[in-house]
Order: sequence, then structure tokens, then C-alpha cells
Amino acid sequence: MRPILLQGHERSLTQIKYNREGDLLFSVSKDHVVNAWFSHNGERLGTYEGHIGAVWTVDVNSSSTLLVSGSADNTAKLWDVSNGKCLKSWEFNTAVRCVQFSEDDKLVLLVTEPRMGFPATLQIFNVENGVTETVSSEPVYNFNPEGPKITAAAWGALNRYIIAGRENGSVALIDPKTGECVSTNKVHELTLTDLQMSSDRTYFITASKDKSAKILETESLEVLKSYTTDTPLNSAAIMPKHQEFVVVGGGQEAMDVTTTSSRQGKFECRFWHKILEEEVGRVRGHFGPINTIAIHPDGRSFASGGEDGYVRVHHFDDDFFTFKFQI
Amino acid sequence: MAVSATNWADEVDGEDQPQTFTDANGITTTIEYRTNEDGKKVKVTRRTQKKLIHDVVNKAVAARKKWPKFGKEKGNRPGPDPATTNVGDNIKLKLSSTGDVVQDVDEKHEAMKAQLQNKKILCRICKGDHFTTKCPYKDSLGMEDAAAAPAAAAEEAAPEEQQSGSKYIAPHMRAGASGTKGGDRDSIREKRDEQPTLRVTNLSEDVTEADVSELFKRFGHISRVFLARDRETNACKGFAFVSFTMREDAQRALEAIDGRGYDNLILRVEWAR
Repeated sequence: MRPILLQGHERSLTQIKYNREGDLLFSVSKDHVVNAWFSHNGERLGTYEGHIGAVWTVDVNSSSTLLVSGSADNTAKLWDVSNGKCLKSWEFNTAVRCVQFSEDDKLVLLVTEPRMGFPATLQIFNVENGVTETVSSEPVYNFNPEGPKITAAAWGALNRYIIAGRENGSVALIDPKTGECVSTNKVHELTLTDLQMSSDRTYFITASKDKSAKILETESLEVLKSYTTDTPLNSAAIMPKHQEFVVVGGGQEAMDVTTTSSRQGKFECRFWHKILEEEVGRVRGHFGPINTIAIHPDGRSFASGGEDGYVRVHHFDDDFFTFKFQI
Repeated sequence: MAVSATNWADEVDGEDQPQTFTDANGITTTIEYRTNEDGKKVKVTRRTQKKLIHDVVNKAVAARKKWPKFGKEKGNRPGPDPATTNVGDNIKLKLSSTGDVVQDVDEKHEAMKAQLQNKKILCRICKGDHFTTKCPYKDSLGMEDAAAAPAAAAEEAAPEEQQSGSKYIAPHMRAGASGTKGGDRDSIREKRDEQPTLRVTNLSEDVTEADVSELFKRFGHISRVFLARDRETNACKGFAFVSFTMREDAQRALEAIDGRGYDNLILRVEWAR
């Protein structure tokens, strides 16, 4: 397959996300830029301008009308996807590390990090009519979660829980109405770097710097599967269709990069069989550690964003779909 | 009559018309002529194949495709912009059920490797089949081997190389460079004195440094010759110090010259203290 290289960022990528149909890919980076791309050919649709700090996180609602981004400039911004207009800018005391729309698009979850005496907060805003009306500046819920810093967060199914991954490698279930931590499970030795839900949100995958990725069940936080690699992982994603795979990626900074080809780097996205916990393949190409991976909802392509500032969009060849794992 | 720089025949635009033709397979070939920055005429042949792909998509997706561009892309035409979007090299994702994950193979790299395979790459340091510069034991064996290699076989080519002085060897890499091996010894000064040095005694009065080095250089590369001279008369005091680069050379010189006659005197050679 020929990857499409998207060069819209000058600094390392922090997160990429597909919209629900998968035709749009959003990428954010430390260079303050939020980009929107058409995923089938890599054509850039536009940029959302306004952030003055590194943008850590982005999410789009299921109708692709609203986009939310969280940044190190202590703001989270709500954008109109179609024209790049900033509809709302929420101000906080510290940087926003995670944002996510709820499944019904009514709520947005925001996590800010603790810094300089300000505690971490977990805030939920109502954005139900975000396109037509001005969104409120007051959160629906505002909690100060205790414990180690939250590095990744996501909504559970039906908004029953919020799943939060922490700096000490544990995962917590938080009740969104009360903010209390319902249960915790220490699954990793080092900080959690990414947390992505399955398509029905009944299970999710975590990636950690302890070189492993694990699949946990949402309600019980029980570890279902474990994938151990030889490199600290920065991101992990579950293939929604066609193949029972998970894709993980990471990489160590200080690795000596010997150039085999000047156009291709050696940092790889690794494909693992989800059930059998065996590695099945690798896709190399990034010149720096892979920071974020996203899989197209139709399972026919995926994208990876790296420390090198490139987003690589890969459309799988036909033989990808006919592969059968021989036991 | 001045000779013009360009051929007058070229100035007639016979063949310089850009052409476009399409062949049976639907491949459009466009030929155009340009002058590049060196002033040379360049023929550019472009072969394009256009394929129309029909895709059934969601209505919303189709609607989004028609959105005008905004932000940094404002005012740009539809279609990917080469400044932001490029196609990379072909990568094969080889899925395998076995434990060993086959790395994606870079064709050119493999071709080069195959080519070199016939030529028997031998690392000078550890004799493995990789280039010396890529040797994994470069640091540990590299220094030792600089000393060990000539000693490994007495009749090796290496000593000749040393004698002919073809390669400069940095002091810390020469024989007897114990600074790296033996932990932290101090200063270069001491390292220099660690060099294998012989004391030659019972030299006749009119021997010169040149004579001494002539005599000893056949055993190996000499780094220093010191001939003791009388201060007033400048005559040789009867002894000299010869520092070799390689300890083995010094050893052989000692065995050969000790007890040998030179200018009517029997020379004595010992290790200098």
C-alpha cells in the first residue's frame, strides 16, 4: 500500500481522530494547529485557527458538525467543522489534556491537568445545540478527581461511567454524576499514554510506557487481553471490522535511527491479533516515535501521527482482508 | 566571424512543439520542452492515466466533500495540494502467523546487500560479516585489535603497513594504550611513556639518530628515537632510546640486535625502564 503523507504540522502530532463516517480526519499537534483532512486522498479541508499553545486533544461529534479541541493555552475551543469558526472558548486554570464527546453528542468531557497548585479537574459541558445557540460557559459537572494525574479519559457506554487512565498506570471508573471513583484497577507499571474504546464501548484498549497494551472490560475493569512489545507504547487502537486486530505504536526517542532509505523511517505501527495475542505484522515509515493511531470506522484504512510531524494514512491492500491466522 | 553559442538549426522550432497523444490503454503522453536553470534544453515526458472511480457514499459524506476550504486552505482549489499532501513509497504489510514478524523489505537496500554478499565483507575488528565501521564491538575490540592484529600472526601484512607508515594511528590506539583498557590512568604523558621503548647501549661515537632509526626501522614503526649526545662535542654518548609503536616490533628488534655488531662494537639492547 502507498501511504499518503500529510504534512500539515511542523511539530509532533498529539492526536488524530476520524469522524463517524471516516471521511474526515482531524489532526492536532504541538504547533498550535488543528487540521481537517479528507481521508480518502489526503486533501486538506482546512484549519481551525485560534489556539496559542500546543493542542493536546481533539474530538468530533457523530454528525461532524462540532469539533472540540483542548490545548496547553488553558482553553478548550468548540468549532464549527464546516467553516472553521470558533463557536466557544472555555477558559481554565491549567492545560486541557483530554476531550471527548459523549455518544449522544450532548455532553463534552474535559480533563485538565494539575499544575502550579491548581488541582486537576474533570468537567462536563452541555453542547446539545452548539451549532445554533451559544454554549454555556458553566459546566454541568465539575469535579476535582483525587489521585494521580489523569492522562487519558473516555466515556463508557450510555454515559454510565467515565473511564480514566492515570499516570501511575491504573484505570479508574468515575461516576459522571457524582465524580466519585467507583473502582480502580492497576494494570500497568508506568503511565498510561492512550485509551481507546471499542465501537460499542463495552471494552477498551490501553497503551502504556511499560511497553504493553491491554484490553479491559469497561464495567469490571478486568484485563481481558495483554500485548507485550519491546518498545514503550504511545497509542493503541482496536480494528472495528474485517479483522480481529489491534494496532499499537510507540517508540523510544534515543533509538539510533539507521537510515535504510531516506524516504522511510524505522518507527513502526505493530499489528497484533486481538484474541490470540500474537504479533502479525508491522508497518514502518515514521521518522520518529508514533504518538497517535486512529483506525477508520470502516476498517479499511488507518492513520498514524508521529513525533516527526507527519500523519501517514494507509489504505489496506486486498490481501489484508483475506489473511487468516494459522494456529 | 563570431561563432554563435547556439546552433542555428536548433533555433528553428522544428521539434519543439509540445505534443499530446493518447494510446490504446488510455495513457495520455504529454511531451514538452523546457529550458532548465543551466540553460540546457530539457524534454519532459509525462504519462498519465486517468481512472474514474464511482463510489457510493453516505449523503452527508458527499455534502462534506463540497464544503469550501477554510483556514489556511482558504481560497484553494479542490484537490490535494502537494505542499501538504504527498504519496509515500510503497510499503508491504506482510501479515504472518508465525512468531517472527517479517520486516518490510526495502528493495534497494536488499539489492545492495545481495551485491555485497558476493564480495565477502569482513570486519577488520571482529572478522564478522559487516563493515568495520558498523562493527558492534568497535569500542571494545577496536583499540585492542589495533595492537593485537599485527601480533596475531608474525608474518602478517599489518606490520608492513605499519612500517611503510601508511596509516596514522592515534596515540591512544597504539599498542600499549592502556588508558582505555586498564581503567582511568591519567594523562597522555604517561601513555606516551608506556610505549615499548628499548635502550641501546655500546653505540660508537659517530652514530647518529638516522643510523639508529635505519637499523631499527625494519622491525616496525618507530615513534621516537632519542640519541644521547654529549653537550659540548655533540658526539654520541654511547646509548640511545628507541620507542616503537608496537610492542611486538620492539620485542623482535631486541632479540635481533642485542649482541649484534655495529661499527666494530657489540650492541646491547634492553627494555628501557
